[in-house]
Amino acid sequence: MSTEAERPRVRPAAIVSWLNAGWVERSAIWVVLVALLGVAALCSDAFLQPSYLFNMVRQAAPVGVAAIGVTLVMVMGGVDLSVGAVISLAAVVAAVLMDGQAGNIGYALAATLTIGAAIGFANGVLIAWNRGSPFILTLGTAVAVYGLTQIYSGGTARGIVAPGFREFFNERIGGLVPVLALLFLAAATIAALVQRTTRFGRSLYLVGSNPRAARLAGLRAARLTVTTYTLSGLLAALGGIALLARSGVSSTFAGRGFEFDALAAVVLGGTTFEGGRGGVGGTVAGLLVLFVAFNLVNILGLNYNVQRLVAGVIIIVASAAYTYLTSRRLTESRLWPSHHTSEGAP
Amino acid sequence: MKTPLTAICAALVLIVAALPLTSLAQGVEAARVQETVATARFKKAAPYRVGVAAGYLSNSWVVFCLQHIRYEAARHKEISEVLVTDAGFNPGKQVADIEDLISKNVNLILYWPVDEKAIQPALEKAVVKGIPTVNTGGGFTYSPGTVANAFIDQVVLGDMVARQLFKDMRGKGKIVAMLPIAGTTAAVDQLAALRTAMKEFSQIELLSAEYGDWNRAKAKQITENLLQRHPRIDGVFSPAGQMSIGVAEAFEEAGRLKEVVMSPGDEYNGWLKWVAKHKRGGAVTFPTRVGQEAVRLGLRILNGEPVKRGLAVPSEYISPASITRYVEPTRPDDWWASTLPEEWKPK
Repeated sequence: MSTEAERPRVRPAAIVSWLNAGWVERSAIWVVLVALLGVAALCSDAFLQPSYLFNMVRQAAPVGVAAIGVTLVMVMGGVDLSVGAVISLAAVVAAVLMDGQAGNIGYALAATLTIGAAIGFANGVLIAWNRGSPFILTLGTAVAVYGLTQIYSGGTARGIVAPGFREFFNERIGGLVPVLALLFLAAATIAALVQRTTRFGRSLYLVGSNPRAARLAGLRAARLTVTTYTLSGLLAALGGIALLARSGVSSTFAGRGFEFDALAAVVLGGTTFEGGRGGVGGTVAGLLVLFVAFNLVNILGLNYNVQRLVAGVIIIVASAAYTYLTSRRLTESRLWPSHHTSEGAP
Repeated sequence: MKTPLTAICAALVLIVAALPLTSLAQGVEAARVQETVATARFKKAAPYRVGVAAGYLSNSWVVFCLQHIRYEAARHKEISEVLVTDAGFNPGKQVADIEDLISKNVNLILYWPVDEKAIQPALEKAVVKGIPTVNTGGGFTYSPGTVANAFIDQVVLGDMVARQLFKDMRGKGKIVAMLPIAGTTAAVDQLAALRTAMKEFSQIELLSAEYGDWNRAKAKQITENLLQRHPRIDGVFSPAGQMSIGVAEAFEEAGRLKEVVMSPGDEYNGWLKWVAKHKRGGAVTFPTRVGQEAVRLGLRILNGEPVKRGLAVPSEYISPASITRYVEPTRPDDWWASTLPEEWKPK
């Protein structure tokens, strides 16, 4: 009879090694995504077609780009609820500044990104020095930005998209990969690299997991906060531009609800509200889980209300599967503490 | 054996009984629209202050409708002021807005609701104080808080769109429907109108009814999946032009635009541009001038003239060949063809 302490020894060494390497924990959401894609492919062969899959990435791009910024903020221990409002404002501003002229595209995009970054900067300053709740402060910003968008637009989405703008972003490279999908994947890759390889990225985890220790270590948390929220605002504006490129017309509430889609993707991807955990890779996988779920129920042709029910169940099951896989890892780490590494940190 | 047989018979009886009940309900609704309202108690001497309790002002159709209200008010010297409140989709705020307008002694309240039932007590308060209320926009309301309605009949609109689509499809083929937000009067009435019209066209098959939430991007995303699901779609029922563009784009990107007949949309400028370019589809109007009609109706009530409970502003069909008279190519997509003079159009 084996004792509790002896039990690990009877496990196949390869499995133990695999679990101890933390692969399951770090990749749990990807495992869930692959499993969900497998189920989806059994239901519809559309999920085996690369053009359909890349189109799904294009659908996800506007929320996805904004979700990258939200991930960085949440790793640092904050939250940004203003991204939906910034997406709406950015789409309206970009269209108005383009005014149907191809020559205005560069100026319009630069100005839009600047406005998004400025809103993020304001969020960062308020949070860093006012020390208020990021939840309340960014919610307040969202309300104010929606109001600003209404005043600016007068209730109609003024502005005309310049010729060439949509054509460029919706062009499929090699007849397969939409530029918009590439833009999102490129933004995610850059953010993941920044998060893993730069001092800025590592500082986010330190401030998020232990702000006091970060201060004692000499990290300038206020500056980091401002920079991160500025990045989030900038990426939300880029999400607005992506939305304009996808849909061709802005509406004054085009981004409403996107903040919750972004939050769902970020949390599903393993980044927590407490900070110090998760990362951009998980967010990309979490986002794709959401979009596969929504597209799957849609492509199955279920009744609208059944679609919502099934999509909700898929998300809950995906989340539960993710939790199960990561908690397995935590259990293992309690059994072998010497192998335990910082969760989700790069 | 006896029990199932009894159950089947009971079910058949219920179904047979339900058919005339549906017709009865439609008949009751029609009678209510035609009902004459005695307005002597609302009669007042000018000048009039008109209050507009907007449930929301954040979509372009509503913005145009409000401009029509302002324009019509400016044409009547007896109207001294128009006060506008915006509830921003918040029923609680709209109740407060209506109470504010009552306390500001307005003589007439025009409104479009966020939630019709939620604001009824506030509207009833206005009516009790002798302030007539006119529901302005898409739906007909029959309740003590609403003296009269200037409305657009979604069932008639849906029927016109469906019949034009079936005509363009030569009466046969497989269709999908793109509807507004599930559960709204617009979505319910349009789908009902489509199904009723289909009874006369046995070779039309409805593959799927989807809800695009008046959102171009969402309509496009849903259509991308419909295209994967159905190897052949012959027609699209989409009365809202804003969604029709998203649908058409998805067909175009899939290289399947030639296979499909698009139904008329409405006079949303982005859709009119598409119709002008592709010379197909057309439009069945959802007239923004309903705002003007509401002001006229309100003035008749303030003059003590009897009015009908419902004033339906008719929709009109615009063929693709006539669309150039309505499209404004230099204006944004999010814009409406209207009869407003240039200086009254939204800036």
